[in-house]
Amino acid sequence: MKIIKFLLVILFCSAINHQNLLADEAKMLKGLEIFNETAGCAGCHALKAAGAKGNVGPNLDTVNLTYESVKEMVIYGLGVMPAFGEEEILTKEEIDIVSFYVANSVGK
Amino acid sequence: MRKRGKKLNLKRRSFLASTASIAGLAATASVVPISISRANHTEGEKGLPDFISWKDRNALIVHSDKGIETHRSAIGESLITPNRNVYIRNNMPTMTDDQIGERNNWKVSIEGVRNPKTFTLAQLKKLGHATIATILQCSGNGRGFFEHKVRGSQWKTGAAACVFWTGVPMKAVVDACGGINGSTVYMTSAGVDHEPTGLDPKKAMVERSVPKKVFKDAMLAWEMNGVPLPNAHGGPLRMVTPGYFGINNVKHLGKVSFTEKQSSVKYMKKSYRISPIGKKGSQYPSCWEMPVKSWITRPTNETGTVKAGKVQIVGVAMGGTKKVRSVSVSIDGGKIWKRAKFIGPYLGKYAWRQFAYEANLSSGTYNIASLASNGSDRQPELRMENRRGYAHNGWKDHSVNITVV
Repeated sequence: MKIIKFLLVILFCSAINHQNLLADEAKMLKGLEIFNETAGCAGCHALKAAGAKGNVGPNLDTVNLTYESVKEMVIYGLGVMPAFGEEEILTKEEIDIVSFYVANSVGK
Repeated sequence: MRKRGKKLNLKRRSFLASTASIAGLAATASVVPISISRANHTEGEKGLPDFISWKDRNALIVHSDKGIETHRSAIGESLITPNRNVYIRNNMPTMTDDQIGERNNWKVSIEGVRNPKTFTLAQLKKLGHATIATILQCSGNGRGFFEHKVRGSQWKTGAAACVFWTGVPMKAVVDACGGINGSTVYMTSAGVDHEPTGLDPKKAMVERSVPKKVFKDAMLAWEMNGVPLPNAHGGPLRMVTPGYFGINNVKHLGKVSFTEKQSSVKYMKKSYRISPIGKKGSQYPSCWEMPVKSWITRPTNETGTVKAGKVQIVGVAMGGTKKVRSVSVSIDGGKIWKRAKFIGPYLGKYAWRQFAYEANLSSGTYNIASLASNGSDRQPELRMENRRGYAHNGWKDHSVNITVV
């Protein structure tokens, strides 16, 4: 009985893990879309994973980035980069997704 | 429900984005080698961005391909910082040779004067000729010491250089235009490096206003340390505003106007404002005059352990818009200060001075600091806290810890 319970727990955890992976995959696809189209980040930044070759802002593959640092930059902007959050150009959800995408794409 | 208060003009971006999107889908799954090294402070022979492939990688810290700092120990052992070691901080992409064209045909227009004119670089060369040494320093040099989360490159000491410029004094240009219009208050310099990007000039143009008096010592420079001004540093023509932060030394110069009001572009109105943490706005001071400052360049934690005995403590000191008068050195974290000697030639008040202090050190650990004065101002102990991490000249953060064996 204990073994069956144990196996059920493992199965449950695997299912959740699989769901998370699918969710992350969906986030990455959506993030790519926001990066290249919705927000137009690709117009100004290079990011190899996105095929982006913009040359106004930093080449993102050359910068040490975290999800938090990307998110802050997207919200508040810098120099010519718009404040996508403060100016409500992107929604909070879009900012979260594109930040996740960039942080997980740099250097790949 | 999507909330959109404002919309962005994405016409050009959309075009670029859709091209990138197609490429992106193909590239996402493939492994593509990175041609430019990741940001780091220690890697050696990694690549640099193409536009500065001629620089010395070992002298540089790559924060990004647009933000590249000089190592503290590579700032220049002989007063002037060699071009190959000079930091890079560009708000717009460096213009290419093709975009610049024949350098002598480069044009700059002068407005707000009695007889507004447009000069080619060749014509400017006939108006006057001078060489000056000034300190080029990014407003955010020292940002890396701030403890609150500050966006932007985390410069420590290396977004600064001492450089020889050759060009025509702005005063000679003004004279050739019959003098400045009486009611003007500012000298406003505009770059043209935003033009190839197609971005909105109000947001992308680097146009900076400084008090009109700056023109008396300013220069339109076409040469840097004995060579034609490199594109990466604003060639073929750059405004040099001695004693003022780097951003005011506008690259790829296209226009100088004497104006009644400050420029209304983003880089003047919103950016480069020294505001309290959590606040922003054009009511706060702009990054103009540099404050008095100094730092040790040798020995540092970059130069390895130090042998016990006589040690030369060397550094650089600047007075901002005034001549630097003195530098003191402490080897005990600021408890006792001893006067250091200025060494090397005096290249004018806008250049930095090298200083040296000979200390007899036994084995142990030391906190070494320097403190400069220009007669009326001296370095504070602590940084002036501000939102964007500008104008840091506190001596404590700039001190170094060394081990003597």
